[in-house]
Amino acid sequence: MEFRIARRRTLLALAAIGAGALAAPVIAQDGPITIGVQVPTTGPEATYGNDMLNAVKVAVEEINGDGGLLGRQVELAVGDSACDPQASVNAASKLASQEVDGVVGGYCSGATLPTLKVYGDANIPFVITASNSTKLIPANPGNAFMINSTGADQSTKVVDFLSGKGVETLAIVDQGDAYSQDLANLTAERWKEAGHEVVATETVNKGEQDYSALTTKIRSLNPDAVLWTAYYADGGLLIRQLRQSGYQGVIAVGDGSNSPKLFEIAGQAAEGVFGFSNPTAEFLPAAASFIESYKAANDNAPGPYAPLTYDGMKLLAWAIDKAGTTDHAAVIEALASADQAEWLSGPISFTDENTLARSNFIVLEGKDGAWTRAAE
Amino acid sequence: MLPFKTAARRAEAQDNDPAPARPLAGITQLQQWFGRPATFRGAMAGIVLLLILGPFVFSQYITVIMTNALLYVVLCLGLNVVVGKAGLLDLGYAAFFAVGAYTTGILTLQFGWNFWASIPVALVAAAISGVIIGGPTLRLRSDYLAIVTLGFGEIVRFSARNLEITGAASGLSGIQQPRLFGWTIDSAVDFYYVFVVLAIGAVIASIRLSDSRIGRAWLYVRHDEDAAEAMGINRVAVKLAAYVTGAIYGAIGGIFFAVNLGAISPESFSFEQSVLILMAVILGGMGKIPGVILGAFIIVLGPELLRDLGELRLLVFAIGLLLIMLFRPSGIWPGRTQ
Repeated sequence: MEFRIARRRTLLALAAIGAGALAAPVIAQDGPITIGVQVPTTGPEATYGNDMLNAVKVAVEEINGDGGLLGRQVELAVGDSACDPQASVNAASKLASQEVDGVVGGYCSGATLPTLKVYGDANIPFVITASNSTKLIPANPGNAFMINSTGADQSTKVVDFLSGKGVETLAIVDQGDAYSQDLANLTAERWKEAGHEVVATETVNKGEQDYSALTTKIRSLNPDAVLWTAYYADGGLLIRQLRQSGYQGVIAVGDGSNSPKLFEIAGQAAEGVFGFSNPTAEFLPAAASFIESYKAANDNAPGPYAPLTYDGMKLLAWAIDKAGTTDHAAVIEALASADQAEWLSGPISFTDENTLARSNFIVLEGKDGAWTRAAE
Repeated sequence: MLPFKTAARRAEAQDNDPAPARPLAGITQLQQWFGRPATFRGAMAGIVLLLILGPFVFSQYITVIMTNALLYVVLCLGLNVVVGKAGLLDLGYAAFFAVGAYTTGILTLQFGWNFWASIPVALVAAAISGVIIGGPTLRLRSDYLAIVTLGFGEIVRFSARNLEITGAASGLSGIQQPRLFGWTIDSAVDFYYVFVVLAIGAVIASIRLSDSRIGRAWLYVRHDEDAAEAMGINRVAVKLAAYVTGAIYGAIGGIFFAVNLGAISPESFSFEQSVLILMAVILGGMGKIPGVILGAFIIVLGPELLRDLGELRLLVFAIGLLLIMLFRPSGIWPGRTQ
């Protein structure tokens, strides 16, 4: 008797599972919308990556709080790109296999580049919120949208600003990766076009501790300004050693170095350093409530790519809402038609190449161990 | 000839796990079972069949990861020839991988060559670089050899990062997918099958090589260079052959890696890459082909299986590797008994 009851229970359970399986496709329509986040959560750039992820989470919380998207909740799937081309392809393939409805993120340009094909093949809408190497443009199959100004926009800003400061001779130092070298080359080109002189273009290795060979060379060339185009961790050390060597000229850093951590590493030496920056939260009037909700959810203030990444998530949500469906082609079409002004970082609309139509770079200056907006 | 044979046999006997202390029972049994020719062939056929049927079951993600693992099988088997068979510690193996990838990338992109025509050139370039690294290091042993090969690996990477023709730091992008008799190899599944063929080819070549005259000569040189030379083995030729063979394996991996990703950059050929490949070889068991294959799979699949752990995954993976080396100091695969 006992045995028969047990069997009946098993049968019932099986029937329930079967019914569940049959009902599943119906449920899926009202199931959550899944958005992939491709950022480096491990490796040397994990600080930025986690910051971007946190910004996406703030955006998603707001969206879900307002009743979700198309009446469905938004869920995140994180793909760790580790700032490595191979690892990011693995992560992107995983997101594509999960059939995410869209992807936000992209930090290291070199790692974002090979993933364009993966998302392109699946025609998944991809909003690139930080990577901005010009190499990404020809590799874009049409489904990716870059909402960070590219290296070309930044180099124009650098040349305009430094020329305005009366700088004539410039030394440019990069770190030999796609992003920093791209920016270095573009700036060198434009600097010469503007009729000024580039006295040195140097490449240093990632993770180097001692820059004395470089600082000696810069000291002897004594350019009016030194431009560092790579990231803050090594940039901080370089700035400190440059000042220690007695260099007195202008020091400027690209947008990879505009983290507050630059001051922890460079200390006093970072005073008066100019930083070129994509719009960061504390300098954006519209971002006050974003900063508040970001700080409420995390122990730190939002980093340099947080507002753009928040915008990226909101933009994607806006496009899905406008399309009225998660159909990839419709969402991509909606993204391409973006022409709205109410984003944190300023207006977003796209060129034919899916890059930002209007540059949004600002200039910062190191004062009392923090960045302030410089007079332009 | 007789003294040579006896000495070679002795060398082979020494090659066995010196202290099979507490061998894991399961693995030893598996290995014994594997040793029987009939089961061996059956197992091989089974594995090949599984590999062929794989993509019908796998998701795209798993297909990509498996493709990656098969790439590492080719690379690890190549390094196994140099390190495992000939006993030449090479810390710059990624250089050969880079030579293959960049030769194909440059010829197809900058000179508009057909992909298939670039393969022989890439192999020749790799063979030449094998001679370049092999030549100066012939007299060096252990630590010194490691330092020179390390330097060679870095020289290749830095050249790639600074030369105009290699696309400098941004590398090369937009490498066209190859066509074969009207079939364009472009999807993840296509590349999976390409790498299945490459990996099977690499395994067969490795087995044939280790049973060959030169395979025995490598073994002999590894155990006692002077004795080997006294017995009439051309030390120079044998060592160079090891480097060139290893380089060709690496280049083949590199060539198909380049067309698979469609973009190559210097970061893919870093010192960490060389270490990763060497780690797989040591982990599986130097010189043991099934072990090396196993090592390659562990190195690639390990971090992927742990992806859900997020930030902790590399830490957990590293602890796992340490534990393996602690309990199996001469590699996972047990020593061969003949």
